Amino acid sequence: MSVRLFAHMALTLLLLFAATAARADDEKVVNVYNWSDYVAKDTLEKFTRETGIKVRYDTYGDNEILDAKLMTGQSGYDVVFPSATPFFAQQIKAGIYRPLDRSKIPNAKGVDGDVMTSLTRADPGNLYGLPYMMSATGLGYNVDAINRRMPNAPVDSWRMLFDPAVVSRFKSCGVTLLDTPTEVVPAMLTFMGRDPLEQTPAALDTAMHALAPLRANYRYLNSDKYRSDLASGDTCLAHGYIGDLVQVRARARESKAANKPNIAIVIPKEGAMVNIDVMAIPADAPHPDAAHAFINFLLRPDIIADITNAVGYANAVNASLQYISPEIKNDPVIYPPADIKARLFSALPPAPPGFDRQRTRAWTKFRTDRQ
Amino acid sequence: MTRRPLLLPVLLNLGYAFLYLPIAVLVVYSFNASRLVTVWGGFSTKWYAQLAHDERFLDAAWLSLRVAVTSATGALVIGTLAAVVLVRFGAFRGRGLFSALVAAPLVMPEVIMGLALLLTFVALEQILGWPHGRGFLTLVIAHVTLCTAFVAVVVRSRLSQMDRSLEEAALDLGARPAKVFAVITLPLIAPALAGGWLLAFTLSLDDVVVSQFVTGPGTTTLPIEVFSSIRLGVSPEINALGSLIVAAVSVVILTASWLLTRGEAERD
Amino acid sequence: MTAGRAKLDWGRRAVLTLPFVWLLAFFLLPFIIVAAISLAESRVGIPPYVPLFDWTQGGVWPASHASLDNFVQLFQDDLYVDAYLHSLSVAGISTAICLLIGYPMALAIARAAPARRGPLLMLVVLPFWTSFLIRVYAWMGILKDEGLLNSLLQGLGLIDQPLVILNTDLAIYIGIVYSYLPFMILPLYATLERQDPALLEAAADLGARPWRAFLSVTLPLSLPGIVAGTLVVFIPAVGEYVIPDLLGGSGSNMLGKALWDVFAMSRDWPTAAALAVAMLAALVLPLGLLNRLQRRLEPAEEGA
Repeated sequence: MSVRLFAHMALTLLLLFAATAARADDEKVVNVYNWSDYVAKDTLEKFTRETGIKVRYDTYGDNEILDAKLMTGQSGYDVVFPSATPFFAQQIKAGIYRPLDRSKIPNAKGVDGDVMTSLTRADPGNLYGLPYMMSATGLGYNVDAINRRMPNAPVDSWRMLFDPAVVSRFKSCGVTLLDTPTEVVPAMLTFMGRDPLEQTPAALDTAMHALAPLRANYRYLNSDKYRSDLASGDTCLAHGYIGDLVQVRARARESKAANKPNIAIVIPKEGAMVNIDVMAIPADAPHPDAAHAFINFLLRPDIIADITNAVGYANAVNASLQYISPEIKNDPVIYPPADIKARLFSALPPAPPGFDRQRTRAWTKFRTDRQ
Repeated sequence: MTRRPLLLPVLLNLGYAFLYLPIAVLVVYSFNASRLVTVWGGFSTKWYAQLAHDERFLDAAWLSLRVAVTSATGALVIGTLAAVVLVRFGAFRGRGLFSALVAAPLVMPEVIMGLALLLTFVALEQILGWPHGRGFLTLVIAHVTLCTAFVAVVVRSRLSQMDRSLEEAALDLGARPAKVFAVITLPLIAPALAGGWLLAFTLSLDDVVVSQFVTGPGTTTLPIEVFSSIRLGVSPEINALGSLIVAAVSVVILTASWLLTRGEAERD
Repeated sequence: MTAGRAKLDWGRRAVLTLPFVWLLAFFLLPFIIVAAISLAESRVGIPPYVPLFDWTQGGVWPASHASLDNFVQLFQDDLYVDAYLHSLSVAGISTAICLLIGYPMALAIARAAPARRGPLLMLVVLPFWTSFLIRVYAWMGILKDEGLLNSLLQGLGLIDQPLVILNTDLAIYIGIVYSYLPFMILPLYATLERQDPALLEAAADLGARPWRAFLSVTLPLSLPGIVAGTLVVFIPAVGEYVIPDLLGGSGSNMLGKALWDVFAMSRDWPTAAALAVAMLAALVLPLGLLNRLQRRLEPAEEGA
């Protein structure tokens, strides 16, 4: 085949492909950047049908990429869903968001007052965000594997992970931690009876000192692998996000394997962190009105109930409870009873300057320490 | 023909076995009833059915394909020109810098490359008003920049060992350098060009880190879509898509191979 | 042909322009921005560092002091030096294995009937048109304690206890070798395909046995391909992040992960940038050597 012919073809293909990329920008559009699998199947369709606004929906898998894009400015997004801790708090301080115009979000009145109060640590005055989905961080474990190794294990306590006498019994079947210092350090502080929200070098030191000798018990520190490993029985005890663990439990149930794991989930009684994902509008959002309309739509009780039913996370709109499936409503790890709720803490305030770096450094050292 | 009659083909097939072992596993799991690939939930073809209706994945796949073809072609052009400069031009002012620039994208960690490109695009938009936001164009620019280094390395190694006598003869006969390049050189280095293009295409198709930084609203590529879904576990729809791609391209390859072999046999 | 010593004739300049301008705009400029960030201080704001220059006043005005603090901190910390050395060793071992596996494959394809070569090459590349993540998950399923490999070996009675491969460095080697194999094979093939079979026939005629012919004829002539393949596998493998994260153990201290921690966990862009610049500087030596080698293997350029 002659080179010239190839060149012609290549050029034509190039132009063709490039041309199909051109797209007219509509007026009635909202650019949403959300976690993957975080809406119900028909949520976006319903929104477009009711308001006539098209939704351009992109997804991300971790807060960090959202953060990086917001921090460079001009991301082009109208609605984003950062986690309250630590990202939302720090992003507010950096001036990323525009204050929400509550007059355009009447459904905000239906949001639980306690949740809003706890968010003020990250967002003083509740100016910039409204809660979307919530999930505590707790433990998931393989009931049979744990029972076999320690029949009366303190399964409702952080001792499972942090008490050397207990965790070492499970080392052989696989114990894992989240690779997130902002989760593990407060958990350890709670276990030690200290204030989990304390972000000082002294508290950090205490926590890391207690963690260091335990390192050998943990098979790995990773925020993603534990889901598939716990579900398939390759690990037996995981520190994880309740919302994810609920999915793990469901997947394990579907297993047709002979030794399918029986997964139990627990929020430790000493107290645990609640992660709240919030909805916010960047200051340079191109379609702020559409953004407000979208947020308002999501806060409608029946709509947000659909989402809770689909993804298995709790939401903060009390009126939505009537639409939520009994399975989810009555699950004590998704909608915890009052006594557990009282011990949950959320929304770490933004860390003092330099502390983040210290914490990350200490964490990296802990994670890579070979013993 | 007694040159190592069996060893090489055996090694080749072992190599293919290594390459396709995970592919086989992946195909098997595309029929997994459970969503998590590590949990076998029984046999089911539901993911294939779901894939056919999953606009998000299909749109992302189509975008990835378009970006990959465009980027590979762009990288081929720029990389080949770069290779020509490095192999044929001798010393010139700025050669050191040029040589470093061609090789450096290999070294730069993708996270920083992505961030740097994003910052560059934002700065360029502020100063020049172009590019307008992040999207297809910025994605292609980023991929071309990444892939050029790879193409240049491949083409360079082939270009450097070329037999120049044909070129020199043509030049002696008065042909212009550009024509000589197009008509004589390019066909002679064709395998390197094909290899370079394939490499660039593959790189672009699977790139996620740099892509995440330089995409904007409405431009989600397939790898980004897949990586984002890691939270709930990557859906076996991706396995289904992968299996379909492997099946379709294999059929094309085998057909082409059969036709070409027949063509050769007929010529005897 | 005109002389091309210090200045190029306009024809050559035309060829040089496109790649040069492209790389200046889309690699050098970004790199300068990264270097500028590496000299800057962290802060809370958009962007999360104090910019060295101020674009907004319609011009470029120096806005703050540059300092080498970030670099100093990096070198004082043995964590990063350790990560660098470990990454070098992992990348080195993986590249060597990749070469051992890729060379025979490339050679076999280059020696195959001409009609078969294209399809055979495509078959090498095809697995990588599925998605990276599902391939890694497939490997996890193969390498884990109760995975395919162990089940097979135990079933055949070759081992009693499962081999612990997943979450160790060995799994990282396998992962890197697998993911970079086409990058090794394609440049090797491009070089090997050119080799004139007549050379080998001549060697055979002169009484050389196949192994001897390979070592003294094929191998040396394929050196540019080996260098090229090593370049595109080793250098990027040093900065690998996802493969060590998913297949390796958390105890494995590698540069890619260290960089991600600094960048994402503590949003310390200046330190992350400094780390990237340091990586570039540190890899300049191996890169330069390999580049030099490539140049040495090229025939002398045309002069006057």
